[in-house]
Amino acid sequence: MREEEFEIVGARDWQFQGPQDRKPARDAKERRQQRRILLTWGVFLLILLGCLLGGLFIDRDPAYMDLAHCSVPPCKEFLFGTDEMGRDLFAMVWHGGRISLFIGGVSTLISTGIAVIFGAVSGSAPKWADTLMMRLTEILLSVPGLLTVVLFQAVLGKATVGSISIVIGITSWMSIAKVVRTEVRRLRGSEYIIASKCMGGGFFHVLWKHLTPNFMPAILFMVVMNIRNAIIAESTLSFMGLGLPVQVVSWGSMLSLAEKALLTNLWWVILIPGMFLLVTLLCITQIGNDLRKSVNRRHSNL
Amino acid sequence: MLKWGKKLLFFLFYLFLLSVLVFVISRLSPGDPLVSYYGERAEKMDAQEREWAENRLGLRDPIPVQYVRWLENALQGDFGISYKYKMDAAEVIRGRIGNTLLLGGSGFLLIFFLALWLGVFCAWYEGRWVDRAICSLGTVTSCIPEFWLSLVFILIFAVNLKWLPSSGAYSVGKAEDVGDRLWHLILPLSIVVMTHLWYYAYMIRNKLLEEVRADYVLLAKSKGLKRSKVMVKHCLRNVMPSYFSIMAIAVPHILGGTYIVETVFSYPGIGTLSYESARYKDYNLLMLLCILSGALVLLCNLAAQAINERIDPRLKAGEFLKEPGVEDEGRGV
Repeated sequence: MREEEFEIVGARDWQFQGPQDRKPARDAKERRQQRRILLTWGVFLLILLGCLLGGLFIDRDPAYMDLAHCSVPPCKEFLFGTDEMGRDLFAMVWHGGRISLFIGGVSTLISTGIAVIFGAVSGSAPKWADTLMMRLTEILLSVPGLLTVVLFQAVLGKATVGSISIVIGITSWMSIAKVVRTEVRRLRGSEYIIASKCMGGGFFHVLWKHLTPNFMPAILFMVVMNIRNAIIAESTLSFMGLGLPVQVVSWGSMLSLAEKALLTNLWWVILIPGMFLLVTLLCITQIGNDLRKSVNRRHSNL
Repeated sequence: MLKWGKKLLFFLFYLFLLSVLVFVISRLSPGDPLVSYYGERAEKMDAQEREWAENRLGLRDPIPVQYVRWLENALQGDFGISYKYKMDAAEVIRGRIGNTLLLGGSGFLLIFFLALWLGVFCAWYEGRWVDRAICSLGTVTSCIPEFWLSLVFILIFAVNLKWLPSSGAYSVGKAEDVGDRLWHLILPLSIVVMTHLWYYAYMIRNKLLEEVRADYVLLAKSKGLKRSKVMVKHCLRNVMPSYFSIMAIAVPHILGGTYIVETVFSYPGIGTLSYESARYKDYNLLMLLCILSGALVLLCNLAAQAINERIDPRLKAGEFLKEPGVEDEGRGV
């Protein structure tokens, strides 16, 4: 066999490099990563602050219909143009973002709360109760999400910001609850849990003090993704006319005018709120992925 | 045999539970089914006419009575009439289901093969610029809400470039023309594929990356196997079972995605139908659609479980309806 046919298997390139050789490469990669994380958070905080404080600087009322200026393309007076009802898109985007983000946050709080309690009860319950509860989540998981949302929405009546958050919250806790339950089952035999129980710790004490810190890393990514999914759900529902009415400005309800805008080719009515929505969703996804990547990665053997 | 009997029993029980839930919730919800039956006229009816109409449709009885009547009829294969279309609910669905199957089915097949190919491609070039570029692009596409991407595509390709049609499944009078149908399929299909593809490709990529770090890869390499051979013959082979089971669960997910795309494109399929029936309280149609989609979801889950068990006996028979695993992000709507 000739020498060049040999290949060193298993050993890593960096094992043959001195410490000073490998530092720059790793630093560059780390720097790139750092820059990306900084950029993500920067953009996200910018949008968040813009939505929260936007009302202080924008004197135009987002709901005011200026009938003299309908369907104006972006210009100096109307930075993002106006829609066919004469509302100023610039003011609407910042106001709408507040509601969209609020719904994302509140519904995630609700769903995480339900998931943690349900998962913990199921995880520490006797076997038959556990099986029953898990069957229930599986059945709920398998019902198409849109359908349950529409049905619940119908029960709660006219859609408001609160009712939409509740509906999205109570229809999206199942997958987190399953993870929580698995983690609790794994942890519940641990010495410190038993010790805490022996010393008279109640269910919620053990859950909050000992279990939650342990399963939080496992569900953190899913919680962040839930925020994203809630925002998507709200905008989809509002777009289809099942969510917020047109008068309540959110990114989704702004897009509910989009079908009419298609006919008259008002591209800014479709693209601008959508771009805000997309950038926010991207930031949230990226934040979630960064959280998940903190899990140690090993080197390829291939 | 006993195992399958138990599964069948569970299946039927599940459908029963689903039908009760949907029945009760849809009837408790506000809204006027008469509007969907009589259209505009329903709003002008006086109290007497309303009573007569509600009696005729059997909407006056208490909910349990209504449900039992529905169940009795349903067990004999009669699912009632659709209020809006004034014909058998099953008949209405039969007319539309082909379109949805075409859109969802071709979307599913494309996703199935493209995801596998893309996943292997990215795992092969792990960490290089191609992989990084595809990963970033994929993250973006999987973030875009389906309805908005549809709108943007319609805006670009239908309204401004005028290349592709913006709605429907065929042009007027060309219902039999295959080419015309395909022509109308391009936009909705590409949106279904684009928004779902990366989710599954990424799953394959990550599973392969886990596999590539296993010790047997070292052994195979030290035997002198080529990289490509190790990848295809060993790593990919180990990933395939979980891929098949994931794709079985993906069927309802992808179908759920086509529902939204259908409504944006007003594509005459099951999606637009279920949206209409939920919105306008077309009870019988809604019930049948829910039960059909519920049955489909459950069948796919059972299929996934069967695949898992056959290939990996470590999985216990009791674990019904398993979700894809840690990679699962939960697909919102």
